[in-house]
Amino acid sequence: MSDVTAPMGGKVIDVKVNIGDVVNEGDEVLILEAMKMELPVVAPEGGTVKEIRCKKGDAVEADAVLIAME
Amino acid sequence: MDIEDKIKELERRNQEAELGGGSKRIEQQHDKGKMTARERIRYLLDKNSFDEIDKFVVHRCHDFGMDKKKIPGDGVVTGYGTVGGRRVFIFSQDFTVFGGSLSGPFGEKVCKIMDLALKNGAPVIGLNDSGGARIQEGVVSLGSYGEIFKRNVWASGVVPQISVIMGPCAGGAVYSPALTDFTIMVKKTSNMFITGPQVIKAVTQEEVTPEELGGAMTHNTKSGVAHFAENSDKEALDRVRELLQYLPQNHREMPPDTECTDDPDRRDKALNKVIPANPKIPYDMKDIIRVVLDDKKFFEVQMHYATNMVVGFGRLSGMAVGIVANQPRSLAGCLDINASMKCARFVRTCDCFNIPLVTFVDVPGFLPGVQQEYGGIIKHGAKIIYAYCEATVPKITVITRKAYGGAYDVMSSKHHGGDINYAYPTAEIAVMGPEGAVNIIFRKRIEQSDDPEGTRQKLVEEYRNNFASPFKAAELGYIDQIIFPENTRPRLIRALSMLKQKEDAIPERRHGNIPL
Repeated sequence: MSDVTAPMGGKVIDVKVNIGDVVNEGDEVLILEAMKMELPVVAPEGGTVKEIRCKKGDAVEADAVLIAME
Repeated sequence: MDIEDKIKELERRNQEAELGGGSKRIEQQHDKGKMTARERIRYLLDKNSFDEIDKFVVHRCHDFGMDKKKIPGDGVVTGYGTVGGRRVFIFSQDFTVFGGSLSGPFGEKVCKIMDLALKNGAPVIGLNDSGGARIQEGVVSLGSYGEIFKRNVWASGVVPQISVIMGPCAGGAVYSPALTDFTIMVKKTSNMFITGPQVIKAVTQEEVTPEELGGAMTHNTKSGVAHFAENSDKEALDRVRELLQYLPQNHREMPPDTECTDDPDRRDKALNKVIPANPKIPYDMKDIIRVVLDDKKFFEVQMHYATNMVVGFGRLSGMAVGIVANQPRSLAGCLDINASMKCARFVRTCDCFNIPLVTFVDVPGFLPGVQQEYGGIIKHGAKIIYAYCEATVPKITVITRKAYGGAYDVMSSKHHGGDINYAYPTAEIAVMGPEGAVNIIFRKRIEQSDDPEGTRQKLVEEYRNNFASPFKAAELGYIDQIIFPENTRPRLIRALSMLKQKEDAIPERRHGNIPL
């Protein structure tokens, strides 16, 4: 199952899912602010949210796992 | 032998050559989902247009018992024909003959058609399906590779060169495709690598499958070595036909115009609504590109690689154009190392072959970061500048939204030779974003204020209204015209026709020294 990773470094401004939520491929799960833009981050695959490893306001690095899926 | 016998002998020999490595190996080729070298040529070229040369060439190797194994053609089918009525030269490696391995005479055959292509100013298409060097031939095989590479370089920018990878392509063999203008890979059946998984395992202990290491998607997403990933041999060959429609026969010709049935004055109200009101919200730049082009048809190149930069071909009133665009939907449309290389390479490809450039700009800046700096974003970003400044084809620019800082300059700005530079009313052309600028210009005033945050917000708003617009740039003549988005297509077509006879040159030199 592919986890959701940060496409680039930035600040998490919204987490749109909770643990246990079932998401489909392409669903918006998180909003990242980077380069003056609010970038929707989508689930690379469908699955269930196992763990959320970030919260609103966190600064994250590129490729960091933000949401673990199962 | 009387004449009839001689004719029969030729027929027999033709049939023998056309069977390549024999029916059993042909069956194995089909079982892998692959076409044979000859089937590929037949499928790609116009019906009955193929003229084969060197059909009876055999190798001259006497070592390792090779003198007892000779197959006419020696593992590659070469010749010339037409695609859409236009001349092309082609070589098609035959995996059924010695695994498509490259011998001395094999290389000579490829070089012969490349020489013909250069002298006669027509594209070269290489269909690759080869196990690599023919080891029995030793250094002769290496010599042959070298001769091919040299011709690839000599032909670069003179005639279009297209490589299709339809099987293995390993070791030195990868460098011929790497030197050509476009590389198309077939998913699952093709791979490219300098050293294969076994060698990697032996040297570094890393375990990797051929597909992960050098499959079509690896080179279309990670390395940027390939430009297209297709599902089958047929789809890959269809892509070659499509690509050729946008390219001239050689550097002295213009790409062919086609008849246009799409209204050149077509306006589209939807374009007024593509850019979101909130400048922080991304949108899909391809929604603009598609609407503007003839029949809303955009032929994207390197679709999967560095998706923050979009490149490809299309037509405006029948004229072929190269499209370059920032993609705000991916990495905010920033310029990073990969996007810079993708952009610069495509701009140079278009300039080689007289294809006008239309650039859509929405760029927040270069991507900050330690990895980017260590990776040399300075020299890679410089490639974009180099490519645009050196390009003498017509260059038209449309700034749809952000054009900030150095990224404004590099994206086909007026200063880099943009012939006609448009901006939408939504454009924000400034030295930096409002927040950053205000923090620098008004640092003291904000610090000394009773309500620093409130003051900052107010100043940001003022800056945004006064400077994050297209008007300051238009006052200076950096923008030729601020256009209504719905008029993009008619404006581009008029600018393009105005520039059709453009003549321009940069100072003479032996050759430039692009930062590599």
